[in-house]
Amino acid sequence: MKISFTLNGAPAQADAPPDALLVDLIRGLGHTGTKEACGVGVCGVCTVLVNDLPVSSCLYLAACAEGAEVWTAEGLAREDPALIRAFAECEGMQCGICTPGQVVAAAALARGRERPEATEDEIREHQSGNLCRCTGYQTIAESVRAYLASR
Amino acid sequence: MSRNDAWAKASGQTRYAADLSLPGMLHAAVVRSMVPHARILGISTKQAEAADGVIGVFTAADVNPHPYGRSVRDVPILASGVVRFTGERVAAVVAESRRAAEAAAALVEVSYDELPAVLSAEEAIAPGAPAVHDAPWDYPRAVARPADGPNVQSRVVHGSLAGAEEALSRAEFTVDRTYSTPSVHHGYLEPQACVAAVENGRVRVWAANKSPYRLRGQLAECLELDPALIEIQPVPLGGDFGGKGSPMDIPLCIELSRLTGRPVKLVLRYVEDLTATNPRHPARIRVRAGCDAGGRLVGMAVQALFNGGAYAGFKPLANVNLHGAEDCLMAYDIPASYIESVIAYTNTVPRGHMRSPGSPQSAFAVESALDELAATAGIDPAELRARNLVQPGGPRHSGGPAWAEARGGETLRALRAALQHAGTDSPASPAAPSPPPGWRQGTGIAVYARGVPRLGTTSIRLVPAGEHGRVRVEVPIPETGTGSHTVVRNRLAAELGISPDDVEVVQVSTAGLPADPGVGASRVTVGMTEALSRAARAWRARTRDEPVVVELGAGSPPGPAGTPGAAGQAAPAAGDSAAAAPLVSYCAQAARVAVDPGTGQVKVLEIISAVDTGQIINPLAHQMQIDGGTVMGYGFACLEDLAEEDGQVLAASLGDFKIASMKDVPSLRTVLVEGGRGVGTANVKPIGELANVPTAAAIANAVAAATGCRVRDLPITAEKVFWALREAGTAGGPASGAGDGPVHGAGSSSGAGAAGSAGEKAADMAGKGRVR
Repeated sequence: MKISFTLNGAPAQADAPPDALLVDLIRGLGHTGTKEACGVGVCGVCTVLVNDLPVSSCLYLAACAEGAEVWTAEGLAREDPALIRAFAECEGMQCGICTPGQVVAAAALARGRERPEATEDEIREHQSGNLCRCTGYQTIAESVRAYLASR
Repeated sequence: MSRNDAWAKASGQTRYAADLSLPGMLHAAVVRSMVPHARILGISTKQAEAADGVIGVFTAADVNPHPYGRSVRDVPILASGVVRFTGERVAAVVAESRRAAEAAAALVEVSYDELPAVLSAEEAIAPGAPAVHDAPWDYPRAVARPADGPNVQSRVVHGSLAGAEEALSRAEFTVDRTYSTPSVHHGYLEPQACVAAVENGRVRVWAANKSPYRLRGQLAECLELDPALIEIQPVPLGGDFGGKGSPMDIPLCIELSRLTGRPVKLVLRYVEDLTATNPRHPARIRVRAGCDAGGRLVGMAVQALFNGGAYAGFKPLANVNLHGAEDCLMAYDIPASYIESVIAYTNTVPRGHMRSPGSPQSAFAVESALDELAATAGIDPAELRARNLVQPGGPRHSGGPAWAEARGGETLRALRAALQHAGTDSPASPAAPSPPPGWRQGTGIAVYARGVPRLGTTSIRLVPAGEHGRVRVEVPIPETGTGSHTVVRNRLAAELGISPDDVEVVQVSTAGLPADPGVGASRVTVGMTEALSRAARAWRARTRDEPVVVELGAGSPPGPAGTPGAAGQAAPAAGDSAAAAPLVSYCAQAARVAVDPGTGQVKVLEIISAVDTGQIINPLAHQMQIDGGTVMGYGFACLEDLAEEDGQVLAASLGDFKIASMKDVPSLRTVLVEGGRGVGTANVKPIGELANVPTAAAIANAVAAATGCRVRDLPITAEKVFWALREAGTAGGPASGAGDGPVHGAGSSSGAGAAGSAGEKAADMAGKGRVR
């Protein structure tokens, strides 16, 4: 089936089986910045924004993205460099495989907020769907704090 | 200045093995055994071959018959005749897409004649046990012999059992306890992945593998190829922790490319990573320890039995054992000690190295037993340790050369001092939360000592890169995430007095440099900083604008570690200092926990790490190794369990195998015990495999201090604590209920001093609880 959506601000079209997953659709279009790890929606590595909401693209049917606005880390890096700068300056990463998902989750936290800052508990709650095995999370939490403060 | 890979990683630009695509590339999927031990009666591939998009379906008959291995070579590329664990590779499908390959793999039918399976290490070494392998001693580089009995991968012994038992018989106080730890997975978030291209007899590989030069050798051996025809390409790794050091599925991927004549990509689904790669060895460890009336250890005997799984080829050491088990008494000076480490073949997933292999298991056992001994002897557990740590300069009863320094005492003192401030704000972390009302609190400590690696073999090349003195550094190792390439950049910039902006670090293929042992054993910073020092000297001494190649350890034995010299001073290169004494580094940790007496739920409030350090090259990367390690240690203690039932790993996803999330992480605090003596000109001590080791024992000791109940089987779940509380309550008085008032074990105000000192008898579990 044909699927038309907006990917990182640009119109995108793909032909995919009805049971195709969004992660495969996006990666198949050459946007390999969205990684896949657990495949069952628990690790957060494949997180993308669909109409401003963070979703696990490994569970999200590509067909459901019809007409939607989808953002990945690559697009957010162009649209909102402060997000990437916060993660780079605070070194909110080590191996980097979870980082695009962490970045997208942080963007989701910032979007639609009335006040920029968030409490430590809010940050930890919000990012708890994005696992990281390397860092122990301290610098990731700091990256999110720095990003929110920069807005 | 930030990591050199930060922007690319955060913006999704970094390409890992699974992100690569070659022209004409095909995709593979693996058909795996559904039974733990069986003869393969037949494999029907017809339906799969006829499926859409399928190029070919291949079995053992099609691929090279030689087994592979990091040391002993016993791992078949595809199971031939027999399967030995649930999850073993039986056949492979190659198709135009991953989807087609996976769909066709489900159509391959394998018929089995099931054989008796041995599913635990205890069963495996019992007389008369079914054999996992008919003649394991016949595999190349096997170390076990028929006289070792059935199903032994490796058996290593240090010291005399009779001597240790004789000493224990004279001890004033003794304990004899057995501890167990489960298998756990590395939990890297990048599944194992490989792209192989075989063309005109030349093999190119892009893989999530941390030891490219060793991989080349292992592949050459298994596939009977000239190593010069194999080129391992540079690729960053999405996490390793010891899980990405073996050939894994790479030999298969190469064979599939050879058979189809096109490049082939094989990326595992995470369920395959969990059930069919090389996770940590589960262990059962008996510890006997005895001390005199003054709390001096007189003897210890540690007998460890590890479940090595169906193949031993994922362990890299020549003795096919786990150095962490062999070194598990390293921190202490014990007049009579005995260590035995036996690894058994079983019909379960093969086990491999994971972050300080053998140490997390044996440190949990030894450091728990020392607390139990302290309780028995009525001695403060920190004090018991302080009285028995190896002293600087002194001889050690276990023999061997005197150490250049022994900073266990300083490290432990720093930890005890930090405990005075437990629960307060720290710069790195918000204050530890207060425990819920009615929960019991306790503090526990544990100590870990680790030998510092000697300088091994490695090589780098400096290349002039345009004007303004820019330099490109070609390194043989992938960036696994630790920040090693950033360390290289910053260190070279400092050595040459140029800006880090003018240093570019690139991993080159195995065709690009002479040699390297790969990332691991906490050796990268040690080896790289020394290689860079030498390269910088040669660079400054150049008369022409040409590249400089430095090869460490070439043509001469690896230099001994332990060059004296204050940080930052130009000391003689370690390799030139012939008689340097061995170096050791320490990590002492304290955990503060709260336990719900009604449910047994354990909340780890805070973990404090005191870490013995030399010069720190990159403070943030160093800290992240401590934080990440501690959180991994916390997971091992409380969350992670890669258990099996009937040989089948039960955790089929990261939803079942629980690694800590940001919300789970306790408050973390670090005390750096600076001024230690490190290796080489840069005076560095390794950091990657320290903080993850003592955590489980510190938490178990804290739970015991809080409740009087000892959990000797990881992970420490609410269920285990609940039943231990119930049992203790039944034995010693009214059951502890949710209505109990708060009971403070080792008060956070007095440090670790009192942890467990009230003893851990059931009687202490009376309704009133115990007050120190």
